[in-house]
Amino acid sequence: MNPFEPKIIALVCNWCTYTAADLAGTSRMSYPANIRIVRLMCSGMIDSKYVLKAFLDGADGVFIGGCHPGDCHYIDGNLKAVKRMDGIGSILTRFGFEPERLRLRWIGASEGPEFQHNMTEFVETIKGLGPSPIADRMIL
Amino acid sequence: MTVFKAFPEAVTPTQALRSMLEAMLSKHLVDAVLVPARSPYGKLPMPMLITDPAGLADIDPLAPVAPFNSARQTATVTRHASGRRLGLFLRPCEISAWRELIKLHQCVHEDTLLISMDCQGRMENDTYLKLAEAQDDPTTAFYRDVYLRDETTVSCRMCERFQPQGADLTLCLLGTASELPVLAVETDAGKRLADDLGLVDCDPPAERASAVSDLRKERQAFRAARFSAITEKIKNMEGFQQLIATCLNCYNCRTACPVCYCRECVFLTDVFAHPPETLLQRASKKGSIKLPADTTMFHMTRLAHMAHACVGCGQCSSVCPSHIPVAEIFQAVAADVQKLFDYQPGRRLDEPIPYLAYGKENP
Repeated sequence: MNPFEPKIIALVCNWCTYTAADLAGTSRMSYPANIRIVRLMCSGMIDSKYVLKAFLDGADGVFIGGCHPGDCHYIDGNLKAVKRMDGIGSILTRFGFEPERLRLRWIGASEGPEFQHNMTEFVETIKGLGPSPIADRMIL
Repeated sequence: MTVFKAFPEAVTPTQALRSMLEAMLSKHLVDAVLVPARSPYGKLPMPMLITDPAGLADIDPLAPVAPFNSARQTATVTRHASGRRLGLFLRPCEISAWRELIKLHQCVHEDTLLISMDCQGRMENDTYLKLAEAQDDPTTAFYRDVYLRDETTVSCRMCERFQPQGADLTLCLLGTASELPVLAVETDAGKRLADDLGLVDCDPPAERASAVSDLRKERQAFRAARFSAITEKIKNMEGFQQLIATCLNCYNCRTACPVCYCRECVFLTDVFAHPPETLLQRASKKGSIKLPADTTMFHMTRLAHMAHACVGCGQCSSVCPSHIPVAEIFQAVAADVQKLFDYQPGRRLDEPIPYLAYGKENP
């Protein structure tokens, strides 16, 4: 049997975490191929729907990356993200998802190694948890 | 500081309210009142905007029924300050929902006077209509027979917020004799109104506190039992899917929800109007896809958007053609989210909506 390779969606902000991903790439740092990055203009534009959609379509984990507080290109988008992710985390937990499957981290534009570290660590966490409880189930 | 006022003569609570609203209109203390009343065509009281005191003949604000939570209708007449003074009669859950809409800048509270009551719940429409068949005065019958409370909706029987938050005047219906209604005056505006109406001070109804506490205990016990049952059912997605398996995506629950705040719902936009290619591609991923699609997405999105503001009115369950316990699911999830943010919808107007108050910096 093949070892479990999680599918992870990373929703990252254009200005910081995506730039950090770019930096990691141009610096030839590698991170697991389980991560599918979606670039968004700001972590503050991440509606709870995006996270739900990822999980309901079978993602094993969702990573949200934004700018450090104070560094947001749009002033306070990242602070909106914190509250929203707290709320959606609480809801997902009610329905039997492990809260560790949703992770929010601040990774600045210059933090390529941080990006690599976070991705590697998150993949390990999800591998430890195993497949999403609804991975192959039909969802109405 | 709450003061209590008595009505000049022994009357039923409905008569007392009617004479009070009459006096408010004829003395020009308000320009209009919004109050549930029966139309000439049916037995269900509906919110009626009344300017002529003669129009108060058929009001029935205390009827144990509410075809919808009228917060949204209240928001239409309070969308902006019109310069007219409005007297609003609302149930506690309607006040809370309306105050959430105020925080969302969809309406204003200026120039309004809020009148409410110790709410003992509402029945489903058909239960109420049966009572109305059997009784000439179903409203008075309801408050005389405490066992009729068991006929109210599950959400009402789970409700611990049956006393209004933020009303100027509250009609005391707990622990008072039904022929001697007492008005609790909670605000300065309420006090001015009571003075203008010439209501006289009286002692606090002696048994109200214990009646309130008894009802709260009863509600808490019922709530705890329903919570543990629903928690067991939704403890995983499998159970949740079983509960919503009969959902038709009619979106009645969304329409009935007083705090579902978007002017245009994303589920009615092109975002969820999938072209055939998308549906076929989604079907091919797991071999099949149920249509209409996105049922789970719909319910969970609503939870994510509204759980912090759920006032527990139960209208989502009442309008569900498939008898899905939407309100119980919502209230169980809402309890978590409201506890997480230490937020209670409608508690205070200056308490910001948690998603709009930034302070927390780290995940």
